[in-house]
Amino acid sequence: MFRQTALRSVTIALLLTAGVAYGLGAGFFGRELLTEVAILAILAISLDLVAGFGGMVSLCHGALYGIGAYAFASATVLLGWGGAAGIVLGIAGATLFAWLVGAVTARTHGIFFIMATLAFGQMAYVYVFDSALFGGDDGLPGVIRLDLSALGIDLGSSQSFALFCVALAGLSYALAAGLLRSGFGRTLVGIRSNEARMRALGLPVQRYKAAAFAISGALAGLAGTLAAQHTMFVSPDLLFWTVSGEVLVVVILGGLGTLVGPVLGAALFVFLRHEVSSLTDHWHIVVGLVLIATVLSGGRGLYGQLEHLLSRRRASGAQEHA
Amino acid sequence: MLEALRLCKRFGAIAVAQDVSLKLERAERRVVLGPNGAGKTTLFNLLAGELRPDSGTIRIAGRDVTALPVDARARLGLARSYQRNHLFPGLTVAENLGLAAATAQGRAGGVLADSLSDPAVVETVREVAQEVALLELLDVPIDALAYGPRRQVEVGLALATRPQVLLMDEPTSGVGPGMVEAFRQLLARLPPTLAILIIEHDMDLAFGIADVVTVLDHGEVVFEGEPAAARASPLLKEIYLGSWSGRAGA
Repeated sequence: MFRQTALRSVTIALLLTAGVAYGLGAGFFGRELLTEVAILAILAISLDLVAGFGGMVSLCHGALYGIGAYAFASATVLLGWGGAAGIVLGIAGATLFAWLVGAVTARTHGIFFIMATLAFGQMAYVYVFDSALFGGDDGLPGVIRLDLSALGIDLGSSQSFALFCVALAGLSYALAAGLLRSGFGRTLVGIRSNEARMRALGLPVQRYKAAAFAISGALAGLAGTLAAQHTMFVSPDLLFWTVSGEVLVVVILGGLGTLVGPVLGAALFVFLRHEVSSLTDHWHIVVGLVLIATVLSGGRGLYGQLEHLLSRRRASGAQEHA
Repeated sequence: MLEALRLCKRFGAIAVAQDVSLKLERAERRVVLGPNGAGKTTLFNLLAGELRPDSGTIRIAGRDVTALPVDARARLGLARSYQRNHLFPGLTVAENLGLAAATAQGRAGGVLADSLSDPAVVETVREVAQEVALLELLDVPIDALAYGPRRQVEVGLALATRPQVLLMDEPTSGVGPGMVEAFRQLLARLPPTLAILIIEHDMDLAFGIADVVTVLDHGEVVFEGEPAAARASPLLKEIYLGSWSGRAGA
């Protein structure tokens, strides 16, 4: 069962504080990196929700993210809607697509589920890539950002936008943690633990899995709308399956099923990529080595490993006191 | 409460259920006997909806459920425990029972309130834990439990849905004599209106708890009647002991 432990609360508070401090103190380039971290963190939280807690390892989260981005771009560029309507459309579009994928794939498990989600994701990619309406492989330029001038905030500035994304990442974490502590979240963990028994207890499992996937899609869609606003441009690359693979790496690196870990993983991934790619073009090798080390050392991920070590120390400490 | 009418099921050339009919009344305790491979667990799988019969009808409280899936039958008040433990690993005993109670009480889908700390769910978890003697172990993870207590959780999961009809597949398999006695007491404490169908190999226990005994052999009902009649039946002796006496003679 998911527990919002004191350690997790402290960690997420520290990460958010660090994000805000970095956003206020860093230069333009640092703020761009921070924005990337925040968006990737939302996408990673979205994936951890279904993969870490529902046992549904998806390879279509890139597509959900891209659909969110494209829906935002279409709303603002093609339909001339405002940013707020664009965000709503982006979230709704990704939610709907995720629900469809979830409903169709709910009976499959393991590698078949992964392949089915991959196929759905690639279908979305190919569709957008070939679509004249959405600009084909050229993408859609001229995407606007949400207008918050009524609140005295100019999201056109890289600093405000970075902080806006950090705030939404914090909100996404709170929403995901709240959901996981609810009846729905408990049920999701039950399905991961023993799906057949949940069904035998009277749960319409497929409906719950599709709903979980849809909720995850909503968060992925939100991340996509932010990505579109960040670069003010969308291209089919956003939907490509390697994006899904990258998020999965981020989640596993940080700690699958810890919810905090994926946020940490997003920060590490973006900064590692930035630091190492200034030294060598082969930055993937470094990420790969870190991933291999993570998997070989128990597969708990960095944050999962930390929690594991601390709980073991506490257990042995309790024994000494007894 | 639960009715099976002329159920047939074949796996290739093997008929695992041949015209099986039985009617379990409210408050009835019926034991299903039969040698290994007689089709007892298959019958449970047909009744619970994990297998579709080739022909025949299944009714729960008069309603035809033959076409309904497992979860829909469970929502009509049918619960089962399995021959091999089928629990929620990684979770505690309380969380295991809580998932069952929350699902049955319609708390599985709430996105605001926590189902496991819902007062009605907590209450059911405590009641069931008391029934299956797990009160002391509520906070222990399943993975840290010995086989015996896991068996108790297995039965507890079925009870926590507060069913009308309970199917128990060898609830005492693999446990010591002490737990068999504890199980007999548990059965005595269950709501008297509950209809129970049990697959049981312990003859003393079976004859002690049964109102009616059904004997299956090669997928067919070969005997149905009171325990005393079953005990006296030469047919039953032959089915159960035939191969043994044959071996003893060889």
